[in-house]
Amino acid sequence: MKKKILIANRGEIALRIIRAVQELGHIAVAIYETPDKDALHIRTADEAIWIGDGPRCDYLNIDKVIAVAKKSGVDAIHPGYGFLAENPDFAKACENSGIIFVGPPSEVIQSLGDKVTARRIMKEAGIPMVPGTDNLSAGDAGLREAIDFADKYGYPIMLKATAGGGGRGIRRVENEKQLRAELPMARAEAKSAFNNDSVYLEKVVINPKHVEVQIIADKEGNTVHLGSRDCSIQRRNQKLVEIAPSLIPDKALVDLICATAVTAAKASNYVNAGTVEFLVDRDWKFYFMEINTRVQVEHTVTEMVTGIDIVRTQIKLALGKNLSFTQDDVKIRGYAVEMRINAEDPQNNFMPEGGKTVSVYRSPGGYGVRLDGFVYQGFTIPKVYDSLLVKMTVFGFSWNETVDRLLRCLNNFVITGPKTTIPYYVNLVQDPDFKKGDFDTSFIETHSHLINYDDQVSEGNKLAHLIAEIHYKGENPYAI
Amino acid sequence: MERIVQGMGISEVLKIMRSADGYYITNTARDMSQSDYKNRILLHTDLLAAPSREEAGYFSLEITGGASVHVDILRKQVDPFLKLELLREKMPKTMFQTLCRGINLFGYRPYPQNVIRFVVKEFAKYVDVWRVFDFMNHVPNMRAVFEEVQAAGKILEPCVCFSTGPEHTNDFYVKKVQSILDVTGEEIVLCIKNHGGLGSPKRIGDLVDAILQKYPDMVIHYHGHNTDGNDIGRIVAAAMAGAKIVDASDHAFTGYYGPPPILSVIHTLKEYGRNAVGINEAAIMETSDVLQPERKYYEYFESQIKGFDPTVQIHKLPGGAMGSSLEQAAKGGFLDKMPEILHKELPKVQIELGNYWSVTPGSQILWTTAVSNVQGGERYGNCSGDLKNLLLGKYGPFPFYQPPDWIYEKAFGPDWKQILERDGGMEAIEDIDLAKERKALADKLGYEPTEQQLVTYLQHPNDAVNFFRFEEKFGKVYVLPPSILFRRGGFKLGETITYKDHTGKEHIVEMGPMQESEDGSETNVYLNIDHHQRHFVFENAVAQAGEAKAAKLSKKEIEDLAKAGDVRAPFTANICEISVKEGQEVKAGEKLVVLEAMKMQTPVNSEVDGVVVKIVAKVGDAMQPGDELVKVTPAA
Repeated sequence: MKKKILIANRGEIALRIIRAVQELGHIAVAIYETPDKDALHIRTADEAIWIGDGPRCDYLNIDKVIAVAKKSGVDAIHPGYGFLAENPDFAKACENSGIIFVGPPSEVIQSLGDKVTARRIMKEAGIPMVPGTDNLSAGDAGLREAIDFADKYGYPIMLKATAGGGGRGIRRVENEKQLRAELPMARAEAKSAFNNDSVYLEKVVINPKHVEVQIIADKEGNTVHLGSRDCSIQRRNQKLVEIAPSLIPDKALVDLICATAVTAAKASNYVNAGTVEFLVDRDWKFYFMEINTRVQVEHTVTEMVTGIDIVRTQIKLALGKNLSFTQDDVKIRGYAVEMRINAEDPQNNFMPEGGKTVSVYRSPGGYGVRLDGFVYQGFTIPKVYDSLLVKMTVFGFSWNETVDRLLRCLNNFVITGPKTTIPYYVNLVQDPDFKKGDFDTSFIETHSHLINYDDQVSEGNKLAHLIAEIHYKGENPYAI
Repeated sequence: MERIVQGMGISEVLKIMRSADGYYITNTARDMSQSDYKNRILLHTDLLAAPSREEAGYFSLEITGGASVHVDILRKQVDPFLKLELLREKMPKTMFQTLCRGINLFGYRPYPQNVIRFVVKEFAKYVDVWRVFDFMNHVPNMRAVFEEVQAAGKILEPCVCFSTGPEHTNDFYVKKVQSILDVTGEEIVLCIKNHGGLGSPKRIGDLVDAILQKYPDMVIHYHGHNTDGNDIGRIVAAAMAGAKIVDASDHAFTGYYGPPPILSVIHTLKEYGRNAVGINEAAIMETSDVLQPERKYYEYFESQIKGFDPTVQIHKLPGGAMGSSLEQAAKGGFLDKMPEILHKELPKVQIELGNYWSVTPGSQILWTTAVSNVQGGERYGNCSGDLKNLLLGKYGPFPFYQPPDWIYEKAFGPDWKQILERDGGMEAIEDIDLAKERKALADKLGYEPTEQQLVTYLQHPNDAVNFFRFEEKFGKVYVLPPSILFRRGGFKLGETITYKDHTGKEHIVEMGPMQESEDGSETNVYLNIDHHQRHFVFENAVAQAGEAKAAKLSKKEIEDLAKAGDVRAPFTANICEISVKEGQEVKAGEKLVVLEAMKMQTPVNSEVDGVVVKIVAKVGDAMQPGDELVKVTPAA
């Protein structure tokens, strides 16, 4: 029977979900704030509902989203990532309204979203953990606990917002003086960002690899993993490039990490798709970091190497089906890399280029290329949302083939109007360390020369620039 | 019949010329470009003409010097050295000639000795014949250039500048030749520089004859202008009297104030039994056949007044300054005042200021003074800084007589005698620290400049830096033809433009649409470059809110404001120097800012004692009358 599924999101992930909904023969309902009035997701959905002028407040307004969902008679809501995706109140509100929430139950989101609770669950399940504290007590007592912890495990340490996630609400502290200074600021920031001033500490694992495991579970408790991903290539905790599977040479270690992820998911009574994140240090020890209770931006790479449509599976599970495959059915074949093509100027500290119009958009095609984007030629990128334009996911049978294909696709990708991360990635995929698969979370920092691409155009383009100016001014302003 | 070719030394050249049966021709392409096209003839066009010009067998091709070095970087965005290199590749035999303004080099003001020597040394690597003059015919002003040219083994061609009037006798000029020979020795070519195209053919013939009477072996090069349409007459007279070299240029581009057509000279003199030595007439015809289709692209740069101007005999403006002067008059909206300025005021100013030679930079002083006298209401009411320097003898002594006292009084006030006593006469310009200048340029560019870049920078610091930055942004644009660079009214949608860049790589550009952004702040120009779509964004000029408030102030209002310390630009000009800093104490009469208009500099002095509280303008800004410059709070 046709179901009506509302996508409580925007941008490329809204489109991604709409596609899965439509492939399943259901009805996709989009919502949008005014700045997204020209966005592709509302043109692609079967219905689109305007929810307010925004920006960012209406997509985050639980009451409003639930109200329009009810009014439109939707059966289920897929939250995507970001916005309300990991807000237990939203999942709860759906449950209370008789709307299916495509994701784990609200209590699972609640317990895994509270990083301290999550750590406790994992500790009890015997999952290896980075040394850390419980929520720090309020006031001076909390500071005392923090200093004691640091004295025991040594600096640097991480100050983390209990309710944070996605790389936000994290501060690195190098010494006691800094700790004293940063703790109140971290609390204030957590309060304003997440409406929860709880913070806790973790020992810093220096330059780890970021390895995560896609897990998926049904309500019967069948839990499988879809293999690993390496998301070490990050800039200030924001992932730029993600790879499946992890390139760690020791396959047994990767298997162990994946198995641990399944244990972790089971320990938290996980249902639907999620991601268990680990840090792997230079001695190949791994530590549990957190479980993300949503579909990840980088789920595409896992889809490419497993052939499993994660979003489709999410919806089917949410609508009451059980998993149609077992762990044995999951085979990893080849390699996939996702590059987040953002409207940012890498040479200007990755400043967002929002507000600019995409004047030319010509995307690569051919074998092994997948694009999850939402911009088109003539589209003006709203200033008020994130800068992700398109995720380019490239698949190859071997790592080398994948890297070759990445370069080809980047060179074939033309976006003009906003500056993008494409030229930066062109340098990145040619970097010897990247080609060897040798990278950890310090990669961007230690490979700062990647920024040195020549944005200056060819001599032909320079001369054409003058021709354009002569055309624009109606005469050569430099000759008269 | 022996052709003069590049590499021959002065002795060999003189020997060949003295024994030659006939005369030689210099193609003054540079002077044609300057006089009739405001110096805009592009390297692209000269390169088209190069193969046939090479075959034509000229004594020399004047292709650099004068104002062209400046205009090369300012309006044509071509490196003046690269230009010579590229032409040399196509013209290995032909001597290249320059016109050098002595101590003023290729500019408008005296340069320090070490700069002069450095610049001449660098250019001498490319330039074979050095025509050198001084607008006061003051030989010491040319000495440094003479020495460097001779040291480089190049052909030195000192000039006697020619003009007319009771003082301009054969006797005067013959003596002037001697004072040149005293400095240079006898191994020179002597130029009679008739930059205005003044005098009758008879007058010129007599002068050549008078010089040859005294110096029978002298190789004389007659240079003239066709402003009155009669330069062929003077050329014929000069050649008949024994001048060995004459100037003319390609008929496809001859116009009004520049050189006359070469072929007409050749044909006329042939009838008189004088042959052009080494000349290939077919090649001269071919040059013009190649050039003819290009001329239409230069139409915009032709003179605002069409046709010959026999009144040059009265106003005496040099051909090289006619076009730019008339352009200024057209832009300034006083073209209708030309009869008064050219036929009444300028001749008067000529006489008042000593009847010296109206040629750069002296011609600019005469012109701006005449314009100011007519436009400003009061004669000599607003003397430019350069006029004051002229009156003080900074350019050299007046050749015949000093201007009358009342002009000094107008310029310097009642104490003019003391000022003349104290500040009068030429002063040695101190050498500048070249290493420091090199460092300053390197800092501006962000890389180590070449010697040639430094030479360009030393002559025109701001314009040179702008040029180097232009090249970084737009590349080497000399490859583009005038049909592109001088296109007016934009290109057609779908129009295809092809060109080779300086590395020889071919490019194809297809013009796409032009679109304004939604808010109207920007315009996108879309192009297909080498089959790849691209676009360039241009910020639309915003009608400035300030424009309304900068309502035109009268001269009186500007003066009154200045007395209150609110210093405004008194006329249309660019700022070339800010002489004070914020917070600095100044006395009445102290220089605040130096303005430049028509290449002439004028200081703006404080009217009050006080403190500089605000500097509104900056160097390079274009000022309209009434625009704010500096604010001085008068002392209580």
